[in-house]
Amino acid sequence: MTTTHTTAPTDPALSVPGTLERFTYDDKIVRMFLLATLVWALVAFLVGIIAAVELAFPQANQLLSILTGGIVSSEYITFGRLRPLHTNAAIFAFAGNTIFAGIYYSTQRLCKARMFSDLLSRLHFWGWQLIIVSAAVTLPLGITQGKEYAELEWPIDIAIAVVWLVIFGGNFLMTLIKRRERHLYVALWFYIATIVTVAMLHVFNNLVIPVFGGTLIKSYPVYAGVQDDFMQWWNGHNAVAFFLTTPFLGLMYYFMPKAADRPVFSYKLSIIHFWSLVFIYIWAGPHHLHYTALPEWASTLGMIFSLMLWMPSWGGMINGLLTLRGVWHKVTTDPVLKFFVVAVTFYGMSTFEGPMLSIKSVNALSHYTDWTIAHVHAGTLGWNGFMAFGMMYFLLPRLFQTKLFSKKLAETHFWLGTIGILLYIIPIYVAGLTQGLMWRGLTDQGQLLYPRFIETVTQLVPMYWIRVLGGTLYMAGTLLGAYNYYMTWRSRPKTYEEPVHEAPALTKGYTDPPPPESKIHGVTDFGHKLDVWMQFQWHRKWERLPVRLTLWVLVAVVVASLFEIVPTFLIRSNVPTIATVGPYTPLELAGRDIYIAEGCYNCHSQMIRPMLAETERYGEYSKPGEFVYDHPFQWGSRRIGPDLAREGGKQSHNWHVLHFKDPAQITPGSIMPPYPWLLQKDLDFKSIPLRVKAMTILGVPYTQAQRDNAEELARAQAAMIAGEIVEQNGEAGLEDKQVVALIAYLQRLGTDIFKTPEPQAPEGGD
Amino acid sequence: MSEPPLQDNLTGHEYDGIREYDNPIPGWWTWLFVAAIVFSVLYYMAYQLGTAGTSVAQAYDAEVTANLRMKFEEIGTLTPDEPTILMYLNDKEWLLFGQKVFVGKGACASCHGKDGEGLTGPNMTDDAYINVKRLGDVGTVIQHGANNGAMPAHINRLHPNEIVMVAAYVASLRGQNKPGPRGEEGSVIDPWPEAPAPQAPVEPTD
Repeated sequence: MTTTHTTAPTDPALSVPGTLERFTYDDKIVRMFLLATLVWALVAFLVGIIAAVELAFPQANQLLSILTGGIVSSEYITFGRLRPLHTNAAIFAFAGNTIFAGIYYSTQRLCKARMFSDLLSRLHFWGWQLIIVSAAVTLPLGITQGKEYAELEWPIDIAIAVVWLVIFGGNFLMTLIKRRERHLYVALWFYIATIVTVAMLHVFNNLVIPVFGGTLIKSYPVYAGVQDDFMQWWNGHNAVAFFLTTPFLGLMYYFMPKAADRPVFSYKLSIIHFWSLVFIYIWAGPHHLHYTALPEWASTLGMIFSLMLWMPSWGGMINGLLTLRGVWHKVTTDPVLKFFVVAVTFYGMSTFEGPMLSIKSVNALSHYTDWTIAHVHAGTLGWNGFMAFGMMYFLLPRLFQTKLFSKKLAETHFWLGTIGILLYIIPIYVAGLTQGLMWRGLTDQGQLLYPRFIETVTQLVPMYWIRVLGGTLYMAGTLLGAYNYYMTWRSRPKTYEEPVHEAPALTKGYTDPPPPESKIHGVTDFGHKLDVWMQFQWHRKWERLPVRLTLWVLVAVVVASLFEIVPTFLIRSNVPTIATVGPYTPLELAGRDIYIAEGCYNCHSQMIRPMLAETERYGEYSKPGEFVYDHPFQWGSRRIGPDLAREGGKQSHNWHVLHFKDPAQITPGSIMPPYPWLLQKDLDFKSIPLRVKAMTILGVPYTQAQRDNAEELARAQAAMIAGEIVEQNGEAGLEDKQVVALIAYLQRLGTDIFKTPEPQAPEGGD
Repeated sequence: MSEPPLQDNLTGHEYDGIREYDNPIPGWWTWLFVAAIVFSVLYYMAYQLGTAGTSVAQAYDAEVTANLRMKFEEIGTLTPDEPTILMYLNDKEWLLFGQKVFVGKGACASCHGKDGEGLTGPNMTDDAYINVKRLGDVGTVIQHGANNGAMPAHINRLHPNEIVMVAAYVASLRGQNKPGPRGEEGSVIDPWPEAPAPQAPVEPTD
């Protein structure tokens, strides 16, 4: 070992030793979660690859349906329905189970205690898997709240709250309380922040009014328009922060020094970057909403807090990478460290790119393009995925108490994964930049250079094919990992050894060491105090008080949230009302629910930004007052297809009918899949009064007549539209089909603001 | 390869074999963090505390004004009537402008085909018309729509000059007789009037 010496006094000298206790660790639960990690990883990647193929080859869903003999109807596997399934599987199933495996393994060892309750651990495992399975069933069926990363409907949301906070959170906190290690290691702080904050985000973003009646699983969020969208990205951004970052930093802090057998680089950096990260991350959500109808002050806050977040994020990266000082040679031979090093490097890259993308003028180019997609995949495939696989190879020999089946296969997995990531992100970066630049290109005469949206789509298709290749390589690596897992498991002993550990129980009478003295000279008293403060002994005290630490984390995230949420909800000038904007008619409301169920928002935005290239393409930019009855908002985050905020009146009804039937027939090169079932399936008129009633509870001003006669009104409007379709030389008999409701909704979009008494063209004269 | 000697102090903490160094926070980290905070405060003050002309809406308005000037400064604001459309019927440069409106902002191509050959809407390249009897009707149909909304109204979507140019472009397609899926519809109408000789730009109307 190297020449190191200790400066701080060690604990045992200061405390009365408690009675010696004997205990074992529950590694079975870790094995369960690790297996689930691998299974869901394969599912998430497979769904991702299918979704990727659909963008390059839009007939893929029909082809897949034929290949499965029609068992999987093409309706359930359109991109709009698969994309939420992919994101939920990747984040909550794959990353989620990774987190749980790592937390259950490390927490027991860091606390010198078995998990508080084996029963709670099992309930957590099976509860979470059940949640994932219900997500996998409901999302393809179109049962969704229609908010990205918060798609799951209310019964599943309640299950998540119970399993996450009560079962997992309770079990974890009680383990901390029953621990035999006096102080909490930094990994545990990150776990605490994860549990507390995810629970808060999940509950407040998913406050909904359910629509009751029949077999309907449907709800509307209590927030509308600007506020709903603000809450959603407060949640969405912090899902990245507190589901994909803080828990994985915790895992890094445990597994990286373990695998490298080196001390962590800097305890002080751990403290500073932990608290700054937890406090600052929460503010950054509005950077997803630059140039939208969100009030500008909120968007500016989102940007500057993202910039301030750069160093707190990098604190984790340097603490990880500098821990490897002196042992870099191990990285060349150990696949575990290889995965970790690349993971942390991708973390550093993503957390530099994130602040950069949050700068408004950069975001003006990148927003709605594939650039964002490349950014998140660098983060998830690189950082989360490689942390998960590194941890898996670390755990396999320890959990199955045998040698890893093949180090060479693990190496191959590493290289396949790395090349896979590069082949995924590089073409998608190119696609994002290409699309962003094509959208904004103007001719010398001030017109759009590429006025047809489809030109900006067909240009990307070759990139989409390379992405399919990259994703396939990444999944091939994972399959090698699965084989390695299986073969290692096969050579496990007949019965696992369960080593018994010994440690003294914690006693009450603990005194902290005396406060350090300032050794610097020539400064004021304040300077001395600051110097002492910077020794962080006050923090050392917090580290042995888990409840207090938890409360401070809660204070940090709640205070930061309230600073943004309270003004957004209370200041009326944030959402100037527009007199001519009214609620959707009952039929339009039903059509909107079809729009949500089909996942249209996954490809189409409804938010025109105040930029010339956007208003030239789509029409007048979107105003906050236009969305006051939108429960939920449908602004979207990606334009795989064109924006629809001003779609109303742009095309004829019959154009929409023909377009839904076969988009490529109307727009050659279109990558939108056909939706023939919209013309065949009956609209559920019976449920429309229930939908109107739920909206009324939320404060949408439907008249008494609309509430009493919602179904009749809807039927009348449907008959009118169906009649017009016939007059436009379209097919007859559509008055009770879903397509009519959806067309009614689309023809309403963005038209209300033109109902002003002065018939003024949107751009007027000069 | 031997491990280089490290001079760092350990904190004395140990958790499941993991120890921590008592290293100071790197200076570049601290100063970049401080710089980001200072920049953020200044940025917020500059953009959110009422400085005139810095809001997104103001920047957009300036952009639109500049764009309209660039496009239409030489012609002013036109009225989409027959003489005006006729005036631009042979103006190659403005017809190209009209063509961009046709395939882009006006979304005409989505029904009438990329080159006017017809798709879900009628063919614009033959001599037969459904709702057009004379040249001025082209502008009227574009502004107000036709056939119960099969042809949507564009008066709220396009600038009057854009309506003129796209009408002129549509009229210019006549006689190209491109094959389309729908064939001839409506009735054959009289040829467009003779175009006036090219003349100096008209006076701006505003």
